[in-house]
Amino acid sequence: MPILTTRIVRLLSTVWLLGAVASFPLPGEAANVVALKGADVDVYEEALDGFKSVENRAQVSEYDMEGDLQRGKRFLARLKSGPKPDLILAIGIWALQVVVEEIRDIPVVFAMVLNPSTVIGHEARNITGASMNVPIEQQIALLKKASPQVRRIGAVYDPSKTGFLVKQAERIARDQGVRLVSKAIASPKDSVAALDAMQGEIDALWILPDVTVLAPESVQYMLLFSFRNRIPLLGLSENQARMGALFGLSFGSGRDIGIQAGEMANEILSGRRAEEIPFTTARRLKLTVNLRTAGKLGLQVPKEILDRADVVIR
Amino acid sequence: MKVRLRAVLSLPLILLLAGSVRLADAADLKNAIRNLYGGQGILLEPLPLPFPSQESRFQASSLQGLDQLNSQLTSAIGVPSFNSSVTGFTFDIERGVPVRTTESLGTLLTERATTLGARKFDLTFTYTRVNFTKLQGKDLKDLELIFLRGDANGNGILDTSGPFSFESDVIRAKLSVDLTEDIFALIATYGLTSEWDVGFVVPVTHIRLIAKAHAAIFDQFGNPGGTKFGDIPIHRFGPNSSQPDASGGGDETGLGDIILRTKYNFLRHYDDLIPDMAFLVELKLPTGNEERLLGTGGTNVTGLLVASRTYAQWFTPHVNLGYEIDTKDTRQNTVRYALGFDARLLPELTLAAGLIGRAKPDGSGTGDHIVDLSLGVKWNPVKSLILRTNVQIPLDKNSGLRADFIPTVGIEYIF
Repeated sequence: MPILTTRIVRLLSTVWLLGAVASFPLPGEAANVVALKGADVDVYEEALDGFKSVENRAQVSEYDMEGDLQRGKRFLARLKSGPKPDLILAIGIWALQVVVEEIRDIPVVFAMVLNPSTVIGHEARNITGASMNVPIEQQIALLKKASPQVRRIGAVYDPSKTGFLVKQAERIARDQGVRLVSKAIASPKDSVAALDAMQGEIDALWILPDVTVLAPESVQYMLLFSFRNRIPLLGLSENQARMGALFGLSFGSGRDIGIQAGEMANEILSGRRAEEIPFTTARRLKLTVNLRTAGKLGLQVPKEILDRADVVIR
Repeated sequence: MKVRLRAVLSLPLILLLAGSVRLADAADLKNAIRNLYGGQGILLEPLPLPFPSQESRFQASSLQGLDQLNSQLTSAIGVPSFNSSVTGFTFDIERGVPVRTTESLGTLLTERATTLGARKFDLTFTYTRVNFTKLQGKDLKDLELIFLRGDANGNGILDTSGPFSFESDVIRAKLSVDLTEDIFALIATYGLTSEWDVGFVVPVTHIRLIAKAHAAIFDQFGNPGGTKFGDIPIHRFGPNSSQPDASGGGDETGLGDIILRTKYNFLRHYDDLIPDMAFLVELKLPTGNEERLLGTGGTNVTGLLVASRTYAQWFTPHVNLGYEIDTKDTRQNTVRYALGFDARLLPELTLAAGLIGRAKPDGSGTGDHIVDLSLGVKWNPVKSLILRTNVQIPLDKNSGLRADFIPTVGIEYIF
């Protein structure tokens, strides 16, 4: 009986090994990668370029959903009915959404997705990728460097959208010796009251990548709050810095995010499982500093920050 | 994509082959009016002896008059402006999602600073009908040329009395000119980068120029027949002279002047006040046959500075200012300008309006400064398909060769 068991185990191991070997491209054989783009935008093209630059052994076929989720689903249905690719690259949140719904048995790497964990459930084990989120550590560090007075950082958020982010941020803030003062809102109209409730309680304000918070009236009120209370505001983009935020910090390059995704794809095509590879945040960042705002806030932006700024608004 | 591109890029060739039809009697269409009376001007019937011959007395002035009209008409025929749309998606960095560009579909005949976008390919077919009706304010169906005769007695003037008063006889030629242009244009634009577009315009033109003339002789007082010796008119048409009624011209169809163009958007979203800016360079090549009136016969280079700015995500005023150099005839060098706006009335509907002007600082006097009003709409019924229609209305019909209005329709697809 133990001999039989041993043989069965050996047989199963051999079958598994053969299956595993068969499922990955052999050395010298080009892997077949399908790149699904959510829409035709420049940064997605840049990401695809970056991906191809490191994943140069693969044969990459491209498909553009043209912003239409149904079109993406129909494409994936056709894809499933034919020979399966070795890997799917989902560029953008729309592409990731349809891939999450339709694909279970093909490794997926995403790129250029903001807050990917809001789309990917815990049960999805075939998906990893390069998000366009800015590392929280760097955002908090930037606000701390802006002024030694910054001890409490305020943030308004919708728990259904960025609750996970706030939890991470609370821990990271603690590690960096500051406190995150967060106020939950359910709709954009709640943001005014939430901000008013933070008056005198915070030394800096942080705009989260949260669609509820990003309603124009909410952003306008945050800018107003920053000026009235003479506290720095960290925005999500150069555009928000131009609107009056002291800083705008965003991902620096679509191409670099594509390169990150390509590096992950290489690992997967070499035999590593997607679930073993954690999502990444943007490596290269773009910092915009608005010195006009600094003047109005009475802040002297440290040289260290100005030296690393990509754009300085004077 | 490659197959689609190959297919669309082969279309100009198909159009060219299909369009290179040459109709009979259209040779040297450019000189159709000059050659109305046989290319040597009006020759009259020789007088019987002993009278001195008068047959070539109107030859020089008729040649000069016809030649001048010919030049005025043919030098003013041209190819209208073309551009491509602005549509598709932009990227919202803050929300991390693409956003369909709904601010506007762009202008029709003038330019905005915005470019097409990296690796986007815009293919447009347009049809433009130009039915010329006026030359320097005069009705093309009712033109009149007056030819004076040469000095007979050598005193340096045309006598109005005495035995040489016949020197003041004139020939009045009534002309009716039918001049139309149908322009089918293939316009392709490709975004090399998000700020840099390159493209070309391949026009296939059908031109029709039919001129009819009736010449009659008058004396200085306007009496038909001119001055007579007794019963014998000194100047007359006859079996051995040019005929008073003449006609000429025809149709031509073929490739027009190909335009190569590139636009670089060097300033974008700089700050709240400074508009987006771009520089556009156009090179018009002499690919259209000048003799067949399909092209101008010269190479033109244009540099155009473009400024535009979108307000409230729906209203985009723009200004274009540039200079066009005609390498064949620098008197045709032109200052080009445009001022206008495009406005998104609905997400899928854009209205565009503007003034388009061309001024020739060293022009010949015909059409040296023309200004047109351009009105049009673009409709985006489905994703990347845009239907466009436009009408160009001359604001000053007393300058140059003008149509009452110039309609253009087109279909555009962005790959």
